[in-house]
Amino acid sequence: MSIDAWLPAPVGNYLRATLIDRAHPLLLSFDAGWHLRDVQGDAAFYGIDTGDPRQSLRELQDLFIGLPLDDHQDIPFVELANGRSAHVHLIVDGPGFHVLLLDAEDARARERVQQQLGHETAIAGHEKSKAIGKLKEIRSELEHQRAALEDANALKNALIATLSHEFRTPLTSIFGYLHLLERRIDGSEHATQALNAIRRNATHLFTLAENLLEYGRGESAGSTLLHPVEVDLAALLRDLEAMFRPLAEDKGLAFRTNLVLDDAAPPLFDEVRLRQVAINLLSNAVRYTARGEVSVDIVWRDGKLGVDVRDSGIGIPPEYRDSVFKPFNHGGPSGRKGAGLGLSIVRRLIEQMQGSLTLDSQSGRGSHFHVDLPPLAHAPANAGAATARDATPFHGEGRSVLVVDDDPDIAHLLDALLCDLGFRVQVADNAAAAIEAATRQAPDVLLIDVELPGLSGNAAVFQLRSHGYCGRIVTLSATPTREARDASLRAGADYYLTKPLDIDQFVGVMQRAAQVT
Amino acid sequence: MNAPAHKVCMLGDFGVGKTSLVARFVRSTFSDKYLTTVGVKVDSKEVVLANGHPLKLVVWDIAGRSALDALGVHYLRGASALLLVADGTRESSLSSTLNLLMQSRNLLPDAVAVLAVNKLDLVERWEVAPSTLAELRRSLPVFETSALSGDGVERAFADIAARLSP
Repeated sequence: MSIDAWLPAPVGNYLRATLIDRAHPLLLSFDAGWHLRDVQGDAAFYGIDTGDPRQSLRELQDLFIGLPLDDHQDIPFVELANGRSAHVHLIVDGPGFHVLLLDAEDARARERVQQQLGHETAIAGHEKSKAIGKLKEIRSELEHQRAALEDANALKNALIATLSHEFRTPLTSIFGYLHLLERRIDGSEHATQALNAIRRNATHLFTLAENLLEYGRGESAGSTLLHPVEVDLAALLRDLEAMFRPLAEDKGLAFRTNLVLDDAAPPLFDEVRLRQVAINLLSNAVRYTARGEVSVDIVWRDGKLGVDVRDSGIGIPPEYRDSVFKPFNHGGPSGRKGAGLGLSIVRRLIEQMQGSLTLDSQSGRGSHFHVDLPPLAHAPANAGAATARDATPFHGEGRSVLVVDDDPDIAHLLDALLCDLGFRVQVADNAAAAIEAATRQAPDVLLIDVELPGLSGNAAVFQLRSHGYCGRIVTLSATPTREARDASLRAGADYYLTKPLDIDQFVGVMQRAAQVT
Repeated sequence: MNAPAHKVCMLGDFGVGKTSLVARFVRSTFSDKYLTTVGVKVDSKEVVLANGHPLKLVVWDIAGRSALDALGVHYLRGASALLLVADGTRESSLSSTLNLLMQSRNLLPDAVAVLAVNKLDLVERWEVAPSTLAELRRSLPVFETSALSGDGVERAFADIAARLSP
């Protein structure tokens, strides 16, 4: 039914006028050969120049390439040369046809907004998926690398532990026999010089090995755990003096020490680290001083420990003040005398102990390193056992000691040292023999190496204690860690000593062990 | 004498660069701003064939789609050639394009079909593997193109023109 049949005439006229107004119809009439016969409507609205319509008409003609012209055609949303969008219709009329353009710009604009949003969202979603995939790949790679690093780190730690043991055991022999030889020479200048050279080089080797191992430990969590003990500062200073006075005097340097104990509270510090700091500073001071003196002052006052190491050596020019604290530094005036690790390790150790380090130096006139250390909070109840000692002369006076060490050099050294002290010494080279001998003879003191082949020293100690052995037990180990010390003490040892053996400390511990039995 | 004219339809998923390829081919221009095509935009360019004869390519830049709907079919009618376009950085767009080719074969069984894998300038981010294109080359001409730099664009259209020449 025609719309005019049911619409009131005014409504029909209004509707027609409105729709035509909105559609902006343009009617182009052609004959069968695409010759323009008539134009009705606003051609300029669609960018068609009626004065010279050839280009526009060619473009219209292109739209119908390949399509039959004897049938109606409808091509929606065609973008025209002026950018407007139109619905283009071809309407057959006898031998010719009309091309009708209806405005589609508003509809296209609405459609474009919707589609643009959808497409951009889809493209962004694809990029996001790719990015997430890439992140997953990176994460997986990082996990893989982390696992590899952990393996490498575990290997490194195992290597360092092994190296530590391998370094300390022979150094124990060297220092121990050096001690024995120094006691036996009869004033021969030549022999004294030779022994000083051995001590100097052994000390250098020891410091170098300790520094390399400390550097190798890096900043891993285990290496930054502090082991506070009550430090016998007088004993520490004596050890430093014993170690460096011969070296200084060998170069013709004066060596001066000073100790101030103005605080009644026990000085709680990580003794291993403190000792390492002082040894490194003194080692440098002696090495880089050709004439004059080297001094060390230890001051325990107002809850703070001060360590001052002064020398009259070559000094450090201002431009090298930072670089001397970097590892493997050889850029300073000192050239390549050492490994270049000492000061970097000193700074690291002091930072680990929450302390501070200041350097005052004048080129050609010497250096002054000042260390300030706050005390650590807690000391384990038995941690001081291994360091307690008495400086009074001591003789074993017939006390019996069973020495257990699988290294014949060490066993012989301990035998000689203890005989010197007046002990009656018996030696065993494995844990089983030690258990048997200790059970049978009940020596006053058992001195046993922890790292024995087969049954460990700790296991032997545990078994002896569980069978009622009541003598004093001193364990000797190449592992200078808190964990190793605690393990020995838990097994039943009374004292824990580390290699290389500090002779004074060893004497003090053996004295105490013999006295309390 | 007028050059013979052939209708060439650009066919491919949205955002693969169909409009940009046409702009590069017809006007030697490029814009990196993405504006989705609604409906169709018709351009033309006359090319000279190897035999010296001119040929007019009337290029229909059709709105992107992943499947052929009724409107898409409407636009394809009368086409002599299809320039299928995929985005090398989106492997899914290659699947869509090949799907469109299969669907269009019902309507245009004899139309020339050439594949342009676009965005060669972003080749480091391509998901489409060289081996995939090597495999596709066994069944249709494939061109790696960049509407941004123009690489491969002329060659793709020239190949279509050559295949359309009488």
